[in-house]
Amino acid sequence: MKKTKLLLSLFLIIAMLSSVILSGCGSGGDSGKIEIELVQYKPEAVAAFEKIEEGFNSTHDDIHLTIQSPNEAMTILKTRFIREDYPDIIGIGGDINYSNFLDADMFMDISDFEGVDDIKQSYMDIEDELEFIPVDGVYALPYVANAAGILYNKDMFEEHGWEIPTTWDEFIELCETIQDTGIYPLYFGYKDTWTCLAPWNALAVGLAPSDTCAQVNAGETTFSEEYAEVADKIKALLDYCEPNPFAYGYNDACTAFARGESAMYPIGSYAVPQIKSVNPDMNIDSFVFPSGDSEEDNVLHSGVDLQFCVMKNTENKEAVYEVLRYLYEDETIQIYLDDQNAIPCKEGDFELPSMLDGMKEYIEQGRMADYQDHHYPSEMSVDAMIQTYLLDTGDDAAETFLKRFDDEWVRYNRDLIEKVRQYEEEVNT
Amino acid sequence: MKPKRSLLNKNRTHLMMIIPIVILFFVFNTLPLIIGAFYSLTNYRGYGSFDFVGGRNYLDLLTDTRVWNSYLFTFKYAIVGTILVNVISLLLALALNSRIKFKSTLRGIYFIPNILGGLIVGYIFSFIFTYIIPAVGQTFNIPWIQDSILADENLAWIGVLIVGVWQAVAMNTIIYISGLQTIPADVYEASKIDGAGTWCTFRKITLPMLMPFISINLVLSTKNMLMVFDQIMSLTKGGPAQSTESISYLIYRNGMDGGQFGFQSANAVVFFILIVTISVIQMRMTNKKEEQL
Amino acid sequence: MRRLGKKQHTNWFLTIVLILGCLTVLFPLYMTVIIAFKNPSEMTNDVAGALSLPSSWSFDNFAEAMRVTNFWSALANSLVITGVTIVLSILIHSIAGYVIGRNMRRKKGYRFLYFYIVSGMFVPFAILMMPLVKETAVIGLANPVGVILLYLVFYMPINVMLYSGYLKNIPLAMEEAAEIDGASSWKTYWKVIFPMMKPMHATVAVLTALGTWNDVMTPLVIMSGSENTTLPLAQLNFQTQFGTNYNLAFASYLLALIPILIFYVICQKQIIGGVANGAVKG
Repeated sequence: MKKTKLLLSLFLIIAMLSSVILSGCGSGGDSGKIEIELVQYKPEAVAAFEKIEEGFNSTHDDIHLTIQSPNEAMTILKTRFIREDYPDIIGIGGDINYSNFLDADMFMDISDFEGVDDIKQSYMDIEDELEFIPVDGVYALPYVANAAGILYNKDMFEEHGWEIPTTWDEFIELCETIQDTGIYPLYFGYKDTWTCLAPWNALAVGLAPSDTCAQVNAGETTFSEEYAEVADKIKALLDYCEPNPFAYGYNDACTAFARGESAMYPIGSYAVPQIKSVNPDMNIDSFVFPSGDSEEDNVLHSGVDLQFCVMKNTENKEAVYEVLRYLYEDETIQIYLDDQNAIPCKEGDFELPSMLDGMKEYIEQGRMADYQDHHYPSEMSVDAMIQTYLLDTGDDAAETFLKRFDDEWVRYNRDLIEKVRQYEEEVNT
Repeated sequence: MKPKRSLLNKNRTHLMMIIPIVILFFVFNTLPLIIGAFYSLTNYRGYGSFDFVGGRNYLDLLTDTRVWNSYLFTFKYAIVGTILVNVISLLLALALNSRIKFKSTLRGIYFIPNILGGLIVGYIFSFIFTYIIPAVGQTFNIPWIQDSILADENLAWIGVLIVGVWQAVAMNTIIYISGLQTIPADVYEASKIDGAGTWCTFRKITLPMLMPFISINLVLSTKNMLMVFDQIMSLTKGGPAQSTESISYLIYRNGMDGGQFGFQSANAVVFFILIVTISVIQMRMTNKKEEQL
Repeated sequence: MRRLGKKQHTNWFLTIVLILGCLTVLFPLYMTVIIAFKNPSEMTNDVAGALSLPSSWSFDNFAEAMRVTNFWSALANSLVITGVTIVLSILIHSIAGYVIGRNMRRKKGYRFLYFYIVSGMFVPFAILMMPLVKETAVIGLANPVGVILLYLVFYMPINVMLYSGYLKNIPLAMEEAAEIDGASSWKTYWKVIFPMMKPMHATVAVLTALGTWNDVMTPLVIMSGSENTTLPLAQLNFQTQFGTNYNLAFASYLLALIPILIFYVICQKQIIGGVANGAVKG
């Protein structure tokens, strides 16, 4: 027994020591350079950012840039904020998280940064709409965007001579035609609730105003009114997909589409890498979801996938701007684009990934609007509500769903609506 | 009076042993709980500024149908799950503790479900429920398994339950096995000599001697089942139609990922009080049983 | 039991039932293994394809998984954290379980302490998380040491419950005998009680190891931003929101499973070792 105890305590001491030593390292060197830390939330882009980091550091003697691309970055960022351990720059998506952080007054106004003028106006507009209540100044610099709509199997379309539809009726007609050949026109992975938002956003962007949520907050309209058509149409799609789409997840749907089980897949460009991992030679292209009655009504839904925000607490504004300048050089952006199939938010001549060919025109003309769900609070789980609605086979399903949407919206956004009302009052008086 | 002094000494030593441990426990469990309970009175999002809202979060809990549904699901799941887990793991422990071949190998294999990570469990069981079981159903023409049960809002909880039980059995079995070890072999020998049958031995000797472990296992598995989270995350994410949202899932999903930290803290406080009450009742009941035997 | 060995022979019926029952474990395991060996392009949605063997048994996925997760360094971190947690749990929680278990029948204070500590296991982690992040950062414990301390607290309720439950079956006479011989309570504990709780040490070790080895959340929020990753943290590399490389991930999970499985096999020998023998010898 004595021996065991001795061994145990020895092991204990060694283990304790080593853990102390392990935790000791990791702090950066003190080289007299200004340290700038950037945390960005897309771990899949780690390779591109490593290249960018290296490029920056090799051209700058006085500033040392560290780019972190952690997994679960949003959790890490939130915990770091709790610890008051702020990075200098963060790279996040243009979604409700940004709105919340901005509302919590965490960012610095960067309107005096000269690069702001090079960003496409349509994306700056999207950023403005993300503000709960309008604020002066620029707090986010869009970097790249993604786009969603319908991905289609190009070879299959060419083989059968199918044409790209431009209106809702044409789209339904196309689905009928495809169905007759025994191929599923569409494939959904509704088991993963978030995928319900892909067709939802695609339809909503054309059928409802882009500031629907803000209008509702201001009491000017209701979701029942704005989303009625969206709700009808998303349900109509269920006639053209695989049986029981609620049994299959995102991954199943990617695999099925890659294997040619369906001709189209309503999802964003972000799904392409997963699809290609199953079928590397697949020829994928995309088109804008034709939700309306005429071609002119169609709008591409494109959101800011990555934007940079400067934290208010940074002490090295000049160095931070230098980093931003480097990030927004055309060559730097191209490094990112080559790696990640994205759409640049900066004006200029960039090479777009081929699967976005069908959307090119819209991108160039700036005919786009943000994802509606970027305005939904995540705790409201609109994706799950849509799934519930799609599963509901009752006659008044749409009515129940829309009423619930209106009711819950008020509940989940109570403090926000109050804030908006106060703001409006202030403005009016 | 030597014994008295030694008793005093003993008490003092015991106190010296326990105090630092209790302090550690207080600092990293009770203190954060108190802070969390404080946040339940605010509209804190997890960062940034917040306002004090009094009992609003608690009132909201009462009228939130999503919260109510999560309680219904969780309790249904926990009651059925606890019974299944304990029956299966007790039988398994008895079997694994009897004179069988390949004892270590078998024990090792039955332990594996508990160490498979969520990603593996999610993928494999989704595949089994979505593709394999319906395929079997179609081949043998069994109507009620021809569709994925995870896609059916009335049946999905059974799918989660199957996986939950499959994973939980391992841990309870280990505890039952170590409990079986406290029963001295001569007790069995005596009962053998008295000519008692297997069932009789089990009822008169094994079960009473195992009572402390049954009590522990009941509390543990009730707690684990009530706090079901991993299986939900990896299998259904609360779907279909929000039919498998457990309380822990809701607290995590909306409190951490979403901006409802204050509200979900209130939910967590209520949930905590509820489980403690249930467990105390459970312990009282099994303690009485122990004393009777 | 062994003394009766002659008369009692292997129960083949139970053995066969147990082997058949193993299929419920082995089938999912089989799927895991073949996926770990396949290429992403071999993944399909049809049953026959999914259950077929990989086209070649190459260990490329395993090598790649080890590279992506920085395997050896992550493994070392995981081993240290889990190892220290186990050792400290056995030492500290057994004392707590002993002191509380022995006194709670007579003294109200200890009975309260028992319920106070045991009730700690019902606190949902989500409510503790943010306060803990803040607390550990303030004390300067946003590192592996902090994670270990938190584990010690998280597993204290269940382990105290296990130890004090086990104690009920250890006769009080044992330690009274030692005390009459003049041993101090401290010494009595280490000489008499601690060794007798061997099967429970093994059980506690297994359960604590299980919880800590696979845990993602605690190291993620407590050590976030530091260079030390544990295996489960590194394994997050395989999943992003829009794509998961199941082949690499499964290879990596299988690798991570091996140490804990070995540990379990060693421990379960200790569990079988049995207090029964010890008690008789005592």
